[in-house]
Amino acid sequence: MGKLFRVISLLLTMCMLSGLIAGFAGAEDVIDADLTCTITLGNWPADTAPDAEKALFEGYKATMAKQYPNVTLVPDYYSYTLSNYVPMAKGGTAPSIFQPPFTDPQLLISQHLVGDVTDALEQFGVLEQFSPSYVEMLADENGRIFGLPRDGYVLGMHLNVALFREAGLVDDEGLPLYPKTLQELAEYGQIIKEKTGKAGLVFPASETYGGWLFTNIAWNFGCVGESALEYQDEDGRWVCNFTSPECIAAMEYMRDLRWKYDILNADATTTDWAGAHSLLGTGEAAMNFAADDSVDQPTANKGLPVEDFALIPFPAGEAGRYALAGGTCYMFAPNITNDQAVALMAYLKILGKLPFLDDSIIAGMRADYAAKRDRGAPVIPAISAWNDEEYNAAKQAIVNEFSNVDMRLYADFFDSISEGTITLKSEEPVFAQQLYRELTAVVQRVITKEGADIEKALRKAEESFQEYLDDEINDY
Amino acid sequence: MSGRTGIKTHAKLKSNVQSWLIMLPGLILMTFFVWEPLFESIRMSLYKTRNVELVRFIGLDNFVSVVGKDNFLQALQNTFFYTFWSLLIGFVLPILLAMLIGETTRGKSFFRMAVYLPNMLPGLAVIILWSAFFSGEKSGVLNILLAKVGMQPQSYLTHSDWVIPIIIVIATWKGAGATALIYMAGMSSISPELYEAAAIDGASIWKRIIHIMLPAIRKLAGTLLILQIISVFQIMYEPMVLTKGGPDNASLSLMQLMWQYAFGGSMNYGKASAVAVIVTLILLVMTAIYSFFNRKQSDWD
Repeated sequence: MGKLFRVISLLLTMCMLSGLIAGFAGAEDVIDADLTCTITLGNWPADTAPDAEKALFEGYKATMAKQYPNVTLVPDYYSYTLSNYVPMAKGGTAPSIFQPPFTDPQLLISQHLVGDVTDALEQFGVLEQFSPSYVEMLADENGRIFGLPRDGYVLGMHLNVALFREAGLVDDEGLPLYPKTLQELAEYGQIIKEKTGKAGLVFPASETYGGWLFTNIAWNFGCVGESALEYQDEDGRWVCNFTSPECIAAMEYMRDLRWKYDILNADATTTDWAGAHSLLGTGEAAMNFAADDSVDQPTANKGLPVEDFALIPFPAGEAGRYALAGGTCYMFAPNITNDQAVALMAYLKILGKLPFLDDSIIAGMRADYAAKRDRGAPVIPAISAWNDEEYNAAKQAIVNEFSNVDMRLYADFFDSISEGTITLKSEEPVFAQQLYRELTAVVQRVITKEGADIEKALRKAEESFQEYLDDEINDY
Repeated sequence: MSGRTGIKTHAKLKSNVQSWLIMLPGLILMTFFVWEPLFESIRMSLYKTRNVELVRFIGLDNFVSVVGKDNFLQALQNTFFYTFWSLLIGFVLPILLAMLIGETTRGKSFFRMAVYLPNMLPGLAVIILWSAFFSGEKSGVLNILLAKVGMQPQSYLTHSDWVIPIIIVIATWKGAGATALIYMAGMSSISPELYEAAAIDGASIWKRIIHIMLPAIRKLAGTLLILQIISVFQIMYEPMVLTKGGPDNASLSLMQLMWQYAFGGSMNYGKASAVAVIVTLILLVMTAIYSFFNRKQSDWD
């Protein structure tokens, strides 16, 4: 009997202790039990998604349920396109959070089709840390924030440093003397072509790539603001503007690259994005307009040693220094309440999208960088959306641990973004792909026919794209 | 009397039911995978669309808009050029191949297989293979060969005048062998006695070809001609992979234009359907012309 009593006493003590521990843990887990609302989460993994991905999101959901027990999460398989989102936003059925590409935020903001999360960011204490580079893309003219970056890239230039070395374009320390302006790009390309016989610049001008890259050059020639390639007039109609003096000058620059400086790769009109990386990686071209998210393409995928590779900022033009920032962002339904906005920020914090680091995020970063290093891809930091020194330093420390590159070959690229010496721009606001297709045809004409009438070709493209805008948006 | 007729009708019906049952799977497949999309495409071409949804009826506006654009006229002209070059390069070649292989006494099976081999390669692999051959870089195979004889490298696929003939050369390389086999089958049905009689009469090889072989394969050639025109008129993946329709739309085909409207970023299925309907109408007219002349020729015979 005494023995039984002791066992029961022990069991009761264990139960009490475990309840106490659980009670303490629960108290720590719960962040806000008063927050009561429902949020629908777009882009929830479909039933056909890999099990690991589904488990990951179920884990986020469970964590959210612990920390905010009165917030109800409703998974939604919704996947954003501009055409399917607009009627949902107008009808009040859009999911609370969804993921548009960086081509669309400014259009959605201007049409009042997305929700404001500025106050919620302030509540989390991170509003002041939001990088100014992203404010222009994700905020309105009053600085109100309507989105957060999910992942992104900034267009710059990839260099084959070995060809720069062969052409004698290196300084005393062996670092490439890279072009800082578009004019220098033409001149340096010419030197490389003469000295090495290889293309100075690979320019993928097939399909829509030519127009896509051309818009970046055009911005640097002044095709922004009132001279933008497309804009809304006072009546709200979208107007195409390919025949501004700035755009004509940019296209004349394209002509000079081919016919005056002769620095382009031979098959530019059939070269695509992958082909361009291949030509740079295999030493057939010295420079390629490309972004920080594709540094593994010429290196790990095409065999260019990381020590022969550099990433530089987009060269400046006559009218400034602009570069495309692309990728995907998070945006929010136009009818979200403040409580929902706070709950959505809490959800993004769990996803690791706010400037807070926890063990699982750190473990994920370490695994990613280790894999990159193992396959010969440059280990470089991702562009941070946050100017939080402590947070960025902690992330940089993890990068440094796995670093396999000389960061001097990348420093100017990252500095230009963090210091704001380059202006980041999102893609043209409406029907960008069709705009690129029209401009690609002009680029192709200009680089394959020496005497092509640039103004006439641009006017034709302008008429064609204007008809498209009228058909698809102005007179819809 | 009426009882006998009833039995006959019943038997006929029974035999028809069996025939219909045999055809039923094919008819169901045709209905869902050929006729329904065809009619849906015609219907869609008359509507303003949002993705695949029909928004409102707009009559022939899609046709007017599509036909009024420069890229349509360019694509139409290109498609006729494709057909022209295909007939010039690709129509006679299979007949010549069939004749040569037919005249071969040793290794006939080898040559048959050899000419058919390119047809067995996947289409995209063929295009990628030839893109390496016609690459304008110094590493392009043709440029390496030219360098051996002291010539400068050339850009082939960026030259608007060369690009269509080059694509047709590639398509012919892939497809001529299969057509040659059909011609060989046709030629093998010619009675050897005709050749023997002609040989006894002292007819040369050319006279035998002109007076015996060509008349014998005329109808077959006519059928293959119209099939070739229909096939080349729908050319799409070759320019799409090799040149993406460039440079400056110089190799853009009608089918590729249709693809661009539907999937090239604008998702305008109404206009894409309008292009598809136009292509169908052109092919119907061409087939009707061919049938008309073919029937007249048969009447003369």
